[in-house]
Amino acid sequence: MKLSFRWLGRHVDLSGVTPQELVRRLSLHVAEVDGLEPFAPHLAQVTVGHVLERAPHPDADKLGVCRVDLGAGEPLQIVCGAANVAAGQRVAVATVGTTLPGDFKIKRAKIRGVESVGMICSLRELALGDSHEGIWVLPGEPAVGAPVAEALELDDWVLEIDNKSITHRADLWGHRGLAREVAALFGRELRPLDTSLPPTGPGRSLPVRIDTAGCSRYLALALEGVRVEPSPFWLQALLLAVGQRPIDLLVDVSNFVMLDLGQPNHLFDRRRLGASIEVRNARSGETLTTLDGAVRELLPDDLLICSEDRAVGLAGVMGGEASAVAPDTSELVLEVANFHGPSVRRTAARLGARTDASARFEKSLDPTLVPAAAGHLVRTLAAIQPSLRLPARPTDEGTWTDPTRSIELAGEQVRRLLGVDLDDGAIAAALERLDFGVSRAGGKFTVRVPSFRAVKDITTPEDLIEEVGRTVGYAAIPGAKLMAEVAPPPRDARRELVRQLQDRLAGAAAFHEAPGYSFVPDPLLRATRTEALPHVQVVNPLTEGESRVRRSVVPSLLARLAPNLRQRSEVRLFEIGKGYLPECADAHGAPGEVHELGLCLAAPRPAEGARFDAGAAARLRGVLLDLLGAVGVHEPAVAGAGGELPGWAHPARAVRFTAAAPGGEPQDLGLLATLDPRVARELEVDADTAVAALSLDALLRCERRVRPYRPVPRFQGLKLDVAFAAPEATPAGSLLALIEAAGKGLLQSVELFDVYRGPNLPPGSKSLAFHLLLQSADRTLEEADQRKFLERLDRAAAAQGLELRRE
Amino acid sequence: MTDDLDPVAIERSARERLATAADEAALRAIEREYLDKGGVIAGLLAAIPTVEPARRRDLGQAANRLKAAVQEGLAARREQLRQDRLSAELAAADFDPTLPGARLRTGSLHPLTQVRRQVEDIFLSMGYRIEDGPEVELDYYNFQALNIPVDHPSREEQDTFYCDREHRLVMRTQTSPVQIRAMERLVPPFRLIAPGRVFRNEAQDATHEHTFHQVEGLAVGFGVHVGHLTYTLRSFLEALFGRPTEVRLRPGYFPFVEPGFEFDMACSFCGGRGCRVCKQSGWIEFCGCGMVHRRVLEAGFAGRTDVDVAALTGFAFGFGLDRLTMSRYGIDDLRHFFGGDLRFLEQF
Repeated sequence: MKLSFRWLGRHVDLSGVTPQELVRRLSLHVAEVDGLEPFAPHLAQVTVGHVLERAPHPDADKLGVCRVDLGAGEPLQIVCGAANVAAGQRVAVATVGTTLPGDFKIKRAKIRGVESVGMICSLRELALGDSHEGIWVLPGEPAVGAPVAEALELDDWVLEIDNKSITHRADLWGHRGLAREVAALFGRELRPLDTSLPPTGPGRSLPVRIDTAGCSRYLALALEGVRVEPSPFWLQALLLAVGQRPIDLLVDVSNFVMLDLGQPNHLFDRRRLGASIEVRNARSGETLTTLDGAVRELLPDDLLICSEDRAVGLAGVMGGEASAVAPDTSELVLEVANFHGPSVRRTAARLGARTDASARFEKSLDPTLVPAAAGHLVRTLAAIQPSLRLPARPTDEGTWTDPTRSIELAGEQVRRLLGVDLDDGAIAAALERLDFGVSRAGGKFTVRVPSFRAVKDITTPEDLIEEVGRTVGYAAIPGAKLMAEVAPPPRDARRELVRQLQDRLAGAAAFHEAPGYSFVPDPLLRATRTEALPHVQVVNPLTEGESRVRRSVVPSLLARLAPNLRQRSEVRLFEIGKGYLPECADAHGAPGEVHELGLCLAAPRPAEGARFDAGAAARLRGVLLDLLGAVGVHEPAVAGAGGELPGWAHPARAVRFTAAAPGGEPQDLGLLATLDPRVARELEVDADTAVAALSLDALLRCERRVRPYRPVPRFQGLKLDVAFAAPEATPAGSLLALIEAAGKGLLQSVELFDVYRGPNLPPGSKSLAFHLLLQSADRTLEEADQRKFLERLDRAAAAQGLELRRE
Repeated sequence: MTDDLDPVAIERSARERLATAADEAALRAIEREYLDKGGVIAGLLAAIPTVEPARRRDLGQAANRLKAAVQEGLAARREQLRQDRLSAELAAADFDPTLPGARLRTGSLHPLTQVRRQVEDIFLSMGYRIEDGPEVELDYYNFQALNIPVDHPSREEQDTFYCDREHRLVMRTQTSPVQIRAMERLVPPFRLIAPGRVFRNEAQDATHEHTFHQVEGLAVGFGVHVGHLTYTLRSFLEALFGRPTEVRLRPGYFPFVEPGFEFDMACSFCGGRGCRVCKQSGWIEFCGCGMVHRRVLEAGFAGRTDVDVAALTGFAFGFGLDRLTMSRYGIDDLRHFFGGDLRFLEQF
């Protein structure tokens, strides 16, 4: 909300207070101030000129050559194209060198052969209005030669208050409310404002019927003897300063009262209203064309102002077009009302019609403000148009009650919550400065909350404590250590696990953490063949097609491959994040939450004849085994994955990791797969790519332990290599099992180092070669041990139709 | 007498060869040529019977002297070459101190993770526990229990993503719902932080994201007051930045605290004198905070017979992790955080 420094000065004496100091104090004691700007600073450079003469331009019918007196020196010659310029006028002159809004620099010029030094400005050129019909003839007789800003009292500062910081303060949505705070802050008096209604005539008042709980008070008052004309300049200037466009006197005064007191109001053209006014809820299917020309389709929740059952206004939001004030009117009906904040908020939000009025009503206004606003408007208008008459008493209907309330407060409560040693006298004084009534008995106060703070704002003792705190100033509160018995916070297994995984991955595994958005675009779901799964879906997405909340971190990781592969040949990414499963919703409807580690590794395809474990899947498998070991899962079972696989997994090149859980079913830790070639094509990933998804939830459930230390061998071991020629379909795992069994406890380590297919093998077979280490804890092994081992191995191999080859 | 039977000539020639032998291979060649079976000296000895008897003895002695001389010469030359190599090694003429090392390839932790860990570690050291809450949250926790009823005007300002037509489920707009979830489970006194993702339906640009990161803080106990709040946040900031930091409270409005504050820290760029970063104010907004609203305590501990709600007070705060991270590394565009570009990620 914008505030004018000058406007505040109408309510409280600001002499000696700089705008900067005002902003500082408001920030520290009242509300967040977002900005402070001088109003139209260029007006300080524009001078009041007196047009001495306007002569026709010798070469152009539409141009005039003016001689303009600027108070000092020779009068200037200025060529001016406006039709309304005439001798005797006071005008705004931008001299050579001045820069006007829009970076418009005034230069000495020759216009059709006649020299022109300076420009006589229109309102639009000065950014004071839209009117470009001629130059701005200054009102009154401002001093010639003075800056326009000063001569017309346009030197002002504009404060921008952060609306969010005054959401709870309905009273601060007008200049007078803020002036009340300023008066308290600077110890000055809030100037009295006469808001009483002038005498009214004996005419018949307009009947008003309220048929809805959404309106607690409605005041209607007939006005006669008014004219539609431009507002006086002081009023236009105030409105301009706070960013309102002056329209005409009636609209301007209505806005002025709203921005002054914070109470919206509306003027109807009396001739376009019927004999009565009703306030009711809309009927389904009812429509209203509002002032902005929009046809509004209404719902029963919307509040309507009607006249003889015809809708004439959308209560608290906007008036109706059909009852708007016409330029030739002299009779008006003024509406000042109190509407139910939440109803107004809902209507304005639904119709996309948030107005200055609705923004105020939705804060829940003080109903006692209604007659005051009516009186203020009538008095303001009458001061400008003394012909104004009030033919009849106002109608003032409604079931409103004065919200003024009392709250009990103990001085000790204040001291304990703020943590500052304030005596009772200081507490009472702080509240009284803000117009709270305080009566004291012992250490207790009974605090009377004035109506303008009482509707929703101040309802509890803590609300009053805040008033005391901000008035005294929070700087007065000393910092204090929070003492408590502190035991170490409980261990957080998941957080520890996440850190271990992250550290291991970012370290030796050389993976980069790449978090993705929680929303997955539909095309990505299609590309990763996961679009058929149920997803939590946002009903108001920022971008069409990005409404789904992810179930898994994998798709967003996969989406990052192609862009990175354009920069480099190898990409290793991971993310630990959350996924949401709507099919696992709890009793309250909240979806199931899963915690997942996603990894992907994309690299150039291995060259022909490269080692069997050079490919991405084998490398990622190595990473996963290391990772699982690092978090205490030492020998997970890894087996070909059957059944339902995620859409991105290669249907035949996938393995599942499982591990034992204490006293329960083995846990499915997750999946490692080659990227499905169809997904790779969709995502334009042209690389050997492996993907893994591990469930942190399953990892936390499974047995994780510290592996006990194995004694360092004291006796020399025997190293040997063996190879098997085996049919193509023989899994390496079965050979490892064979070796393990033949080892009889002497097998210290075994490592597959070569898988060979080639001419010196029978067709349809392969050779797998292993490095072995045989070792005993209590003796040095001898030739005989090795011979016996090989014999056992040979027998076992032969039994399975395999050929053992020593190398 | 020919030269190949003249020990003196042989020795001269051997010495010349030794003097110019440049490496072990050359020395080995000389060794073979002179000392091996069938070598020059062996030939000399073999020739002894062919000379006249009177010279045989002299020639034999001369041949043995020659053998010893060649052996000594070889040893001396070997030592010389070893010394030369050592000198060359010590002189290190090929040493280029600017030659780069072999690059160690590691991965990286996201900058937000790094700053978040630091924040967590500071609060852990201050006795805080770390809590977590769902990103898809019930309206009850995100709004209602936080004293933001259905018709509250501040809902309008939160730009909420709703996950169903009835608006029962939302993408959480703040980490504050974790306050309620924690109160439901824990017994006071306790203190916690809850870092995590939050969501606002806002168009993206360099400084706005629909997904960003907050750290919620909550301390509930007996006699907790505003002074504890300022002390705690100030201690945290001083630990984070590693230097004394001026702080201040201003009035602020958040429905779930009363009184509510904006918490500022002195601008580190200008030391509080006023600059472009702090918009000349000397202060930088750090977070919103306040004393936990009575209605929030009542909602969070509702139905708890083991907790005397009336006796409890608490403070809460919530700050953004994104801006802290951006200012630490000088990152100028929020969109990098979720961009997944390795050219960004591998810098951390």
